[in-house]
Amino acid sequence: MYLQSRRTFLKGAAFSVAGVAIARGVFSTDAIAESVTESKFTNTPSSLSFYPEHKDWDNFAELDGTDWKRGGIGRHGVKSAENPDGIEVNNFMLVPTVCSNCEAGCGLTAWVNKDTMTVRKYMGNPLHTGSRGRNCAKGYAVTSQMYDPDRIPFPLKRAPGSKRGEGKWIRTSWDEAMSTIGKKMHDTLKVGDEMSKKLMIYHVGRPNENGFGHRVPHSMGVDGFDSHTNICSAGARQGTIQWANDDRNSPDWANADLIFLQSSHAADAGHYFQQAAGNIADARKRGAKMIVIDPRMSNSAGMADLWIPAWPGTEAALYLYLANRLLNEKSKNGEDLVAHDFVKEWVNWDRLMDNKDYLQKMIGYGYISKMPKNDSYEEFIELLKELYAPYTTEMVARECKLEGMEHKLDQLWEMFVEGGSKIATYFWRAGPIGHRGGWMNARAGFLPLALVGAMRGDIGGVGFHHNHEISVAGKGDKSTVAGERPPKVDVWNEIAWPPEYPLSSYEMSHLMPHLLMDTEWQQKWIKKGLNVPTKLAVWYPRMYNPVWINPDGFRWIEALKDETKIELSFNLSPTWSETNWYCDYILPVGLAGERNDQQSTPSKPEQRIEFRQAVLRVAAEKMGWKAKDPTRATLEAHMKYGLGEIWEESEFFPNLMVHHVDPDGSLGVRKFWASKKDPSRAVTVPEYFDAAMSLLPRLKETASRMYKDDEFPVYSYMRDHGAWTEKTNVYKPQEEELEFDGETYFAHGKKYPKAEVEQDKFGTLWIEEDERKHSIGIEINGKLHTGFHTLSKKLDFFSEWFAEWKWPEYAIPIYPRNEGEYKKMEHIVTQVHHSMMKGDNEFALNTVFRLPYNIHTRSVNSKHLMEISQNHNPVWIYTKDAEKLGIKRGDAIRVNITDTVSGLDSGYFVAMAVPTEATRPGVLACSHHAGRWKLKDSVNIPGFEHALGIMGVGAPKYDMTNDGKVGTLKPAGGIKPRHNVWQFKEYNKDLDNIWWDGLSGAWQNAVAPTHSDPIAGNHAWHQKVVIEKAKADDKIGDIVVNYENNFKVYQAWRDQLTRPLEAGDKLRRPQHIKRPAVPLSNKAYAVEIKA
Amino acid sequence: MQDDLKTEQLARINIYALVSRILMNEVDETLLKLILEDENVLSFFPSFEKWEKRKTMSNKDLIEKELNVDFTNLFLLHLIPYESFYTREDQQMETGGDNPVQALYNDFDFTVELDKARVMSADHIGVELEFMHELCSSELKALEDGEEKIAGEIAEIQYHFLKEHLLEWAPMYLLNVKSEAGTALYFDAADLALEFMLSDFEYLTELKNRDYKYEALKGEE
Repeated sequence: MYLQSRRTFLKGAAFSVAGVAIARGVFSTDAIAESVTESKFTNTPSSLSFYPEHKDWDNFAELDGTDWKRGGIGRHGVKSAENPDGIEVNNFMLVPTVCSNCEAGCGLTAWVNKDTMTVRKYMGNPLHTGSRGRNCAKGYAVTSQMYDPDRIPFPLKRAPGSKRGEGKWIRTSWDEAMSTIGKKMHDTLKVGDEMSKKLMIYHVGRPNENGFGHRVPHSMGVDGFDSHTNICSAGARQGTIQWANDDRNSPDWANADLIFLQSSHAADAGHYFQQAAGNIADARKRGAKMIVIDPRMSNSAGMADLWIPAWPGTEAALYLYLANRLLNEKSKNGEDLVAHDFVKEWVNWDRLMDNKDYLQKMIGYGYISKMPKNDSYEEFIELLKELYAPYTTEMVARECKLEGMEHKLDQLWEMFVEGGSKIATYFWRAGPIGHRGGWMNARAGFLPLALVGAMRGDIGGVGFHHNHEISVAGKGDKSTVAGERPPKVDVWNEIAWPPEYPLSSYEMSHLMPHLLMDTEWQQKWIKKGLNVPTKLAVWYPRMYNPVWINPDGFRWIEALKDETKIELSFNLSPTWSETNWYCDYILPVGLAGERNDQQSTPSKPEQRIEFRQAVLRVAAEKMGWKAKDPTRATLEAHMKYGLGEIWEESEFFPNLMVHHVDPDGSLGVRKFWASKKDPSRAVTVPEYFDAAMSLLPRLKETASRMYKDDEFPVYSYMRDHGAWTEKTNVYKPQEEELEFDGETYFAHGKKYPKAEVEQDKFGTLWIEEDERKHSIGIEINGKLHTGFHTLSKKLDFFSEWFAEWKWPEYAIPIYPRNEGEYKKMEHIVTQVHHSMMKGDNEFALNTVFRLPYNIHTRSVNSKHLMEISQNHNPVWIYTKDAEKLGIKRGDAIRVNITDTVSGLDSGYFVAMAVPTEATRPGVLACSHHAGRWKLKDSVNIPGFEHALGIMGVGAPKYDMTNDGKVGTLKPAGGIKPRHNVWQFKEYNKDLDNIWWDGLSGAWQNAVAPTHSDPIAGNHAWHQKVVIEKAKADDKIGDIVVNYENNFKVYQAWRDQLTRPLEAGDKLRRPQHIKRPAVPLSNKAYAVEIKA
Repeated sequence: MQDDLKTEQLARINIYALVSRILMNEVDETLLKLILEDENVLSFFPSFEKWEKRKTMSNKDLIEKELNVDFTNLFLLHLIPYESFYTREDQQMETGGDNPVQALYNDFDFTVELDKARVMSADHIGVELEFMHELCSSELKALEDGEEKIAGEIAEIQYHFLKEHLLEWAPMYLLNVKSEAGTALYFDAADLALEFMLSDFEYLTELKNRDYKYEALKGEE
């Protein structure tokens, strides 16, 4: 039939232009090089997760990446003398390491080109059972960080005679830095009094390792460790501590039937997200449902089966609503929905029912109307029914501002019930860190999960992190002269743990500058008998950038600049940062493939460690290179192979301690860092980590068998594999049998004779040790179990110790049931509650959500991450809210922050508005992970030929003013294409393609005052804001901050909301909820407050 | 060589060139001018010829606001103009040298400059059609040189390439283009490519049935 119309096609012969001129002409007729047929290379791997077999890792030939662009060897053949245009073959060694761009610690392999001794790319590590060979964008971006054109090439020191913040730097050496710093630390410690143990604070950002950093202050006998946790996740931790005396929960995503998320944290961008997201995807492929509770329609919410846009900070009401229905309704078959077998055995209802005083208090609070008839479990359930009955659909729709969405509450209920006990969740950032009382989010959230038995830690449910994590990085003691852990520290540092916040989940690190500058506060507590530091001798952050990421950044600048408050400071920092600018030393340390750390991440119910390594050192050593000084091998390797004078902490600190802080051992510090093998020098990486990781019995057994001729077999195993899974299927650990042979109990590696163990009426077994009582197990139905980590050994529905520590009204999961209770229970009502929003232009600002490619300060200058993160951080505003205010997409708006406790205004930032249906009415969204800045494009170093660029890919330039009261920042110039790169040129040929100017975010963190939750201590991130259209001279990125007001806001929250230590108190904090990082003695815990 | 055979060959060369060009890259002003100003070319685009928008817009606007937008939808974003996507069970594109079409080009010492083509792999519809254009050109050259046997061998390659590659998948893709096209130009281009390929396959089948003897083919007409 087509032949009939073929005649029409003959017109084609008469085109005015010949076909050859029309065709694109993409064919050429090169003869194919013979090397193709002879080559052993595969053009395309059979799967995207392709990795060579482990036996080939030391020597793996792979065609260069240009292969793909050029159509494979089929088109150009393999490069050789005869075929110079062919595709190049890389002679690779794959060295395993671990990503360091977030806490997930996904496995990486560095593909080291053995001819050039450079890392050509980073891929995943298929031997890492958490990340399974996969990475997110941040993992693959490590190459661009390693060979960042603005990488700091050598240690820098503030120029003599200049002030902090002037930006005048000179080149120095690691030895000079260690000498100066070591002397200052030595001189401080040598004084030997209590105060000398409080004057040095090691301030660690995202640690990405499990305990080495804690060992630094600990070995000096110093209470001086600040983590970033109280601006991160301390709220959720508080709720978990109260339930389980554990730091965080640990879900079994992959086997769950319901993925129950508050916020986008687990699946979009947060803790362990790449690994969690993979497991969540596996579960959903199997049919699991997903619920996301979030005021913002995140990627997770967009893909969920149900999105509940509850008003931020009210989620606890939603959880108690679920509890109410679980208690007061029946299943379709008429059965109870409560998993009574679990609750009866593993929840501490018995202690509540036994505590008549507390039950009376509950009547007084109006929680219940009468005393229970008896102490039985059945009466406990009756009590709960009454307690949670007020959390009805109507109440929760009103409280969570879900009016009109009641059908969603029914869907939530149905999906929750269908999930049974296989419900996985992870309460972490978002709600718990955004709000005053955010911790109650987690506390209340675990209740319905406990009621259905999901907290049993069984398959598809929720366990706790310490059962899924291995922390041995601080335990390499056997490689040292001391051969044992340093003793407990005898002092208490009020700058880290002020007496207003005895229950704070972590250090009050975000208040460090405020407390140092608040002389009134210092004097108040000195008068009350405490020995409060009024300055620091040394402040040394590690990969931390509090000036930028902490609230009230101008206060940080003021404190860091004040040499009477901080006498010496140095930042162990892989990149330039806002904080570096105000330090005395910038000491360039390694990124993912340039460090030596043991890490372990609880991303699934298994126990696993991963080993981050300095890959150039490892590759060189495997090829026969030996460092001149084995204690500085990493530094030497980086210098030899062109990375620069990049070092890292596990070699730096041992050298600092042994040769500079305590060279003669008189301070008792040296022995903890000197090598047992050769006491004249510091411990080496293989010595230390072999000793630390040998604490894992299965790993030790396997490594000893595989590397029997090696001096450090465990180190060798981890060097070659990068990850080890010690135990899989870790479920229901609390049910593990407590060993008892009739005479002796065995717990925590210790023996307790029967006579010394006392069993109370609830079945809990107690021993006396270190002058206080500890519980070691529990008897349930005649069986001995190790139990949970709580004192009761059960899950604490009733947190008895919390009631005793001044907060009885919140010792059970609770939330205001009506407007009348907002004031009475103000400690657990968010500072951005909808009742506080009066006008159309008043909003809650949701700040705490992460951008998956742009989480931490260290990734600022990765060109690959910067390119994909541009213009992704506007202010989201609900379309109808925007309409009311006449705001259109792209408009610049002023976001004025105002405090709902003190009534004070903090100033404003100017940002771009994007009206969207993806945030709920009344709630704006703008992530606080953006808005980087610098004050100069580059600095000149005397005697060095090249200017050092400053965050030239990631941060625009701003002009700053600050006078001690008001601070401003104004954009002065965006990022520009780069043409003259002096280092790592091979990796940065494309910098002239930079198209982004970086001027899309504002430094909102500086405007935000710091306001600490009165109980958990964390900064409550969300802000009440008043918005208006920008003024004529405003530019996106402008900020104006009244940080004098911000200081008053910090004081108002502290003084109006906390319940500080007082006369009569004997302890700084309950001893059973350990302080993280540095173990303290009873002497440190003891306190006496003068009236 | 007979004139009508030459006409036939020239027509094949030109039409393969035209459709390969349109389906490989965005329309530029030169190509648009050719389509609009050469009545023989325009006659292959009957809907486009009558398309109102075409008449009211400048060529530049037509390209930037209509044609390139449609091209992006049809060739880059929503439809996949690659053989391996249609023929592999896993619907993965084969971008390396293991692509069977790439291997076939290699066999004939043809190399595709993918960077010039701006496509991901050698089995892009535009590249495959240009390969047909190349083969037709070679066939014509052989005929002009009096090498009828060689010309016949080249025609046989064309027959097999159409049967085993283009016709295995391109009709499905082109029907999708027709269904999704937002502009008359790409609707017509897909229709032209589809009709022409089917017609050409019948032509080549006929030639094959006559053992690639051109005289015999023409004799019957």
